[in-house]
Formats: sequence, structure tokens, C-alpha cells
Amino acid sequence: QVSVLYFARSAELAGLRCETLRVPRQVTSLQLWEEIVKVHPRLAVIRDQVVFAVRQEYVLLGDQLLVLQPGDEVAVIPPISGG
Amino acid sequence: MDESEGVPKDFIKLKSEKLSVDEVSELVVSPCCGAVSLFIGTTRNNFEGKKVVHLEYEAYTSMAESEIKKICRDVRQKWPSIKHIAVHHRLGVVPITEASVIIAVSSPHRAESLEAVTYCINTLKASVPIWKKEIYEDEYSWKENKECFWANSKK
Repeated sequence: QVSVLYFARSAELAGLRCETLRVPRQVTSLQLWEEIVKVHPRLAVIRDQVVFAVRQEYVLLGDQLLVLQPGDEVAVIPPISGG
Repeated sequence: MDESEGVPKDFIKLKSEKLSVDEVSELVVSPCCGAVSLFIGTTRNNFEGKKVVHLEYEAYTSMAESEIKKICRDVRQKWPSIKHIAVHHRLGVVPITEASVIIAVSSPHRAESLEAVTYCINTLKASVPIWKKEIYEDEYSWKENKECFWANSKK
């Protein structure tokens, strides 16, 4: 079980900012995205413009294998606009 | 060199109250430094002909602070003479002309702090998880920094 955080446009599309999701312990970042889109289909439209932050490190959507621990924080990160 | 000149410090703050240029520059002033360089990011009142009513910022706060710390660490590697670094970013509603970000850097001579401030704001825009929403009269828009490598990258 991991905590998934949503920000900016992804929070608007998902309709929430935070939830716990049950996911496999080992999963590629793309598979993790697909799990999240199953729960929130409206997120599909931003697929080409998001990255993840897993334990506060950026991860692209792709083949990268993630090894997740219970309670890990995963954030959906739309294009940033600070400063 | 005596201790009261202080060890180099990073002052990082994300807050919803109005930012203060005086406060931020005073944080980095140091007797051993002859230069304090500043960048202030302020809110423009227009975008592509539309009137901007105000901006709203949100952040992944814990990661934003750690990414800013990484920027400070990189600054100190590139410009070892840098003394203090302060980065204050406002969150929530920011009215037009008010500051959304203030960066201040002190160094013994001006070249390093001027370069470091430029590096800080450019890198912040590329890597710190903070989002800006521009509110117009009848709609709004989530902005995307051109420095952000995952914005519309495949279009």
C-alpha cells in the first residue's frame, strides 16, 4: 500500500489530493501509471505530460522498475511552474 | 576568522504571507561579504492579451524544500566562495505586482553571487515541484515552465 499524492491539474482530474492504493511491490513506472488510471480514468489525458516522484525523486513513465515499500509516497507531477 | 561571521547557511521558506525583500536580504548579509545579489519574481497582469486577475501557487512542499536544498548544494559546489543563500517562495494567492519568489545570495565579490542567483532561479524553474495557476477574468490556466523537461515534450 502506497500513498499517492495528486497536484495541480492531476488533482483536478482525479478529484482528490491524496489516497492510499494497493499496488504490487515491484512494478514499472508505466504499470504504476496504468494502475492509477484504472482508478481515475480522467487522468489518461495528461499521460504524456506527467512524471512521478517516488520517495521524492523524479521518475519518468516507462520501463524503470520501482521497488515499493508499504507507506512509500508516490506523487503525480504535472509540468511545473514555480518561480 | 571568528565564529560570529557564521557558517554558510541556506534559508528556505515556502509561505502564504507576503514576501519581504528586506527580510530576505537581511538573512544573507554578512560582514565578510561585499555583495548581496537578489532576484524577485513578480506577477504580471497579462498573458497573451488576457487580463490576469491574480496567481495561485501550490507545492509538493516537502519535496520542493529538498529540491531547493539540492540547488543550494550545487551552488556551493560551483561557486565555493558563496556565503549565504535564501530562497523564499510564496504559496496560495499572489496579487498582481507582488512577489512570488525572492532569491538572495551573498559572496565576498559580486561575480559569484550574481551568477549564483541566475543559476538558482533557472534551476528552480526546471526542477522544483511548485505549480502556478493564472486566474483570468472568466477562466484559468495551469502554467508550464519551458524549463520543465516533461511539459509537452512529445507533442
